[in-house]
Amino acid sequence: MTVSKPQALTLKPPISNSSDSPTAMAVSINEVTEQENLASLPVKMAAVDLSVYYGTFRALKNISMNIPENKITALIGPSGCGKSTLLRSFNRMNDLVHGSRIEGKVILNGRNIYEEDVDVVDIRQRVGMVFQRPNPFPMSIFDNVAYGPRLYGIRNKKVLEKIVERSLHQAAVWEDVKDKLEQSGLELSGGQQQRLCIARALAVDPAVILMDEPASALDPIATLRIEELMENLKSDYTIVIVTHNMQQAARVSDFTAFLMIDEDRSGTLVEMAATEQIFTNPASQQTEDYVTGRFG
Amino acid sequence: MPRQTLDREIHHLQDEVLLLGSMVEQSMLNAIDTFKRRDLPAARRVYQYDEQINDKRFAIENKVLILFATQQPIAHDLRLLAAILEVITELERMGDYAKGIAKVILLIGKDDIPIPYREICHMGDMAVSMLHRALSAFIDEDVAMARRIPKEDDIVDDLFNQIYRKNVAGMIANPDTIESANYIMWVVHNIERMADRVTNICERTIFIATGELLEINPSDSEWDEDEDD
Repeated sequence: MTVSKPQALTLKPPISNSSDSPTAMAVSINEVTEQENLASLPVKMAAVDLSVYYGTFRALKNISMNIPENKITALIGPSGCGKSTLLRSFNRMNDLVHGSRIEGKVILNGRNIYEEDVDVVDIRQRVGMVFQRPNPFPMSIFDNVAYGPRLYGIRNKKVLEKIVERSLHQAAVWEDVKDKLEQSGLELSGGQQQRLCIARALAVDPAVILMDEPASALDPIATLRIEELMENLKSDYTIVIVTHNMQQAARVSDFTAFLMIDEDRSGTLVEMAATEQIFTNPASQQTEDYVTGRFG
Repeated sequence: MPRQTLDREIHHLQDEVLLLGSMVEQSMLNAIDTFKRRDLPAARRVYQYDEQINDKRFAIENKVLILFATQQPIAHDLRLLAAILEVITELERMGDYAKGIAKVILLIGKDDIPIPYREICHMGDMAVSMLHRALSAFIDEDVAMARRIPKEDDIVDDLFNQIYRKNVAGMIANPDTIESANYIMWVVHNIERMADRVTNICERTIFIATGELLEINPSDSEWDEDEDD
């Protein structure tokens, strides 16, 4: 008689529990959490071998990355690594910096936005931007949101009203301001001002929203409201966020790109992957050192 | 290294895990020694010592939870702290096995029953040695050692089978020994389970180092469905 496992015993030990013996298998963390595969997703924007120069200084070096559609992509990295430069290059905001130039391409809907015949105003309509500090214009809440649509030629009051209401709803600030649309936007709280600025960006119906540390000037509650808003917006928009707050990147983003400064002081892309992977088991030791707070 | 506080706390926790491990090792060795000597007061002490093991486990768990809440560990730190929660649970259960053996001693008292002391001591030494090295591998994140140790579980299982067969033969030859043979099986089963749980610690070591969640079953092939057919 051969019995080699306690499961086969008729004797039941009263003290200990036998656990099951499942069959051998290996699962990586990322399989367990059904990590999204970047390569399989539709691409909304892409940087292709992108370098950005300020005069002779090369701020970004050969960045190639895909921004997946209807996802939140976070750009993280130490100060000076070029993440804001990269963000600004996605809607040609760097054009405004004297002496800046780029090499490589930024593709939006299959077309390089740096081609000569591209209308920059059109690009900035399709790729909106929200800044670190809320910056409402010194005008009424209504006019703040209607500013963009008016600029693009919409004059009909009823149409403008619809756009303003829809945008303020989408930015989760409608309930706060619906009874005071004629008040100055500057009279709102910091968090409300930032949501007003998001509404202003949404009013021109962009495809992509760039956010440059959108919550760093806000208190924790206002920060969480912005983060929830981003989550709600991503079904309609593609979002790219620069943040110094790694927990924020971990909370809100689907994908995270980690940038570093190389030996020439230029920003390079070290790793881009599903946020779950970056924060549980990154491929690069540099990423590991940064996200665990041991570098940067 | 700007995270001196987190690093210091993690080192301290690793020390605490080793301390809990040595408490469990000592408890198991004491339980077996007490069994050999039928020392009832000592058995009672082993039984009661389990409470200290449980307290130590909860203290470590509490510290890990505080680190989760206050330090937001990420990546390797996160895997390490999550693994510590698993490992202390395994250690606490091993402590229960030692307590279980002490309970058997108290049940059989000084009754004159045949006990295969040599095999039981050998089994216990094996299981404790496996645990000791598994905890070293855990702290050192030694994946190679963590993969090697579970293979030794087969030797513990073989010893278990030897004692089992001897017991069954004894019961057939002399039905009066059924009750005592039953007690002995409780004891060896507990030691066998302790060695099984060492494998779980080794799995967590591999997890910390690689991020891979792995189930190691060195000798499970004989229970595979195809082989049963």
